[in-house]
Amino acid sequence: MADIIGGVALIGGGAWFVLHSTGYNMGTLRRMGPGYFPVIIGSLVCLFGILVMVPAMFRQGTLPVPDWRPFVAICLSVLVFALVVERLGLVPATVCLTFVAALAERVKPLQVVLLAAGLCVIGVVVFSKGLGIPIPAFRWNFF
Amino acid sequence: MEMFANLALGFQEAFAYQNLLYCFIGVFLGTFIGVLPGIGPLATISMLLPLTFHVPPTAALVMLAGIYYGAQYGGSTASILMNLPGTPAAAVVCLDGYPMAKKGRAGVALFMTTIASFVGSTIGIIVLTAFSPALAGVALAFGPADYFSMMLLGLVAAAALAQGSPAKGIAMVLVGLALGVVGTDVQTGAQRFTFGIPQLADGFNLVALAMGLFGVSEVITSIQRMRTVNKQKQEKITLRSMVPNKDDVRQSWPAMLRGSGVGSFFGTLPGAGTTIAAFIAYAVEKRIARKPERFGHGAVEGISAPEAASNASAQTAFIPTLTLGIPGDAVMALMLGAMIIQGIQPGPSLVTEHPQLFWGLIASFWIGNVLLVILNIPLIGMWVRMLRIPYSILYPSILLFICIGVFSVNNSAFDVLLVMGFGVFGYAMTLLKFEPAPLVLGFILGPLMEEHLRRAMLLSRGDAMIFLQRPISAGFLTVTTLLLAWSLFSAIRMQRKARRELAAAE
Repeated sequence: MADIIGGVALIGGGAWFVLHSTGYNMGTLRRMGPGYFPVIIGSLVCLFGILVMVPAMFRQGTLPVPDWRPFVAICLSVLVFALVVERLGLVPATVCLTFVAALAERVKPLQVVLLAAGLCVIGVVVFSKGLGIPIPAFRWNFF
Repeated sequence: MEMFANLALGFQEAFAYQNLLYCFIGVFLGTFIGVLPGIGPLATISMLLPLTFHVPPTAALVMLAGIYYGAQYGGSTASILMNLPGTPAAAVVCLDGYPMAKKGRAGVALFMTTIASFVGSTIGIIVLTAFSPALAGVALAFGPADYFSMMLLGLVAAAALAQGSPAKGIAMVLVGLALGVVGTDVQTGAQRFTFGIPQLADGFNLVALAMGLFGVSEVITSIQRMRTVNKQKQEKITLRSMVPNKDDVRQSWPAMLRGSGVGSFFGTLPGAGTTIAAFIAYAVEKRIARKPERFGHGAVEGISAPEAASNASAQTAFIPTLTLGIPGDAVMALMLGAMIIQGIQPGPSLVTEHPQLFWGLIASFWIGNVLLVILNIPLIGMWVRMLRIPYSILYPSILLFICIGVFSVNNSAFDVLLVMGFGVFGYAMTLLKFEPAPLVLGFILGPLMEEHLRRAMLLSRGDAMIFLQRPISAGFLTVTTLLLAWSLFSAIRMQRKARRELAAAE
């Protein structure tokens, strides 16, 4: 089953890639344009999508089940960090990331608070001050 | 004799106070992040990349390299004690290392993996020292067609040797190549697949791609696995418990040598990498063992061979990187990036133009490996204690380091968003059992391949026969074809076997 989904995704993605690439100049074999290489690659992706999918149709399989809770929590925590870090600075971004990531598992609230505080200190001391990464600890910049 | 003079020069450079200090920092950090599951050398190196603006090139590269091979030492610790690999290459060590720990032989397993790491690294460094100047000489004769064919071989090798079906591996390489197309076309300046997003003009950020595919999806799966890890109290690792018995030594040393050989070879191939080397070394041991049924139940060869192989390949991976300027994996691509930041162009002329850097780096590998043995045998208790940190504290920290690391490369929050996107993609791939490593390799080599392909066709006036007329290129293509044929053959055989077993079961 997994291979059928994967194969269909590859065929779809490859076909879309070829279609989009044909919008670029193909050029000639001697002087290839920007579209030449992507068209070849996209077609090969389609071909291998078929090669992955077809054998899978002749065997039984189970559908993989994702583990939703950690998946959603972890992805959201990264998203929140990305949205907050440029607007409010490193410390608020760290706090947000820690709290959202903690939703992936059942963790004691006090532990999360302590962890967030500890990570803020490490983040500022090691990265902003120590390694000189230019992220201010706090800022106010919504634009 | 010239080699010894060069090495003497290298040691002079490596023993400079500053380089020695950075070497120690590198291997220490490397062991640290290697022991911890979920954070690898890639995130660490990308976080430390900005630091290297402020230190001289040799010291910077010595430190970054130390993180890379130091992580190979640390990776097996968690595999043995918790059945959870600290680095992808150490996944093989779980197979026999964890059963050894369950039998109360964790100390011996930890000792043997350290010794195997040291043996593997030493042999890898000897290969590196002996072959890279010669290879650099040959590489001066390489034309664009030869480079193209060599990279093609690397990609096919990575795909065919990866876990799972070769068709899926090749498909992943191709997806990587497709992702590598995104950005500005170098030759015409055309914007491809950027959809008007200015941050995509330089293409996807490699660190964001790799951290999403490996880092984020690894954290998600680790949370899942951590629930099932038995929380039983670990035995204390004392120095006495580490002493191996006669049988362990007798069975291990030939395995270490074989593993080192396998590892040295696969490290040199651009694209094969440490994980593939470790898996193949394990397969070789199982194939030639007199009692293959011992494997999986705590066979000591099952840990020493792959451990030697992954370390040997971590050292020889520097051969294509330094002498050809072609990175074998994402970490090596970052090392190349660090060199370019420092104004050093990697490639065949590196050895002659920057001998102090080249030989100093190699000499630092010897020093670093001796430091690693000291760090890993007497101080093993410290690393073991670190594994007691609960994962609920560890994983938010790892995520934060990933985010800061990615952000710091370009100071761009857009790249952190990309991490999330690739994290979703990577987790989907894990569920559908597609390997991320070939994809990353395709992504790294894609732009280089396209450039060499177009240059080769321009030189040959559009005659594709150039790839067969040049002997070097034709040689690479022959090996590529053989490899494809072999993997096709073994895939068919596997399928037949599976069908027969299915029929027998019915």
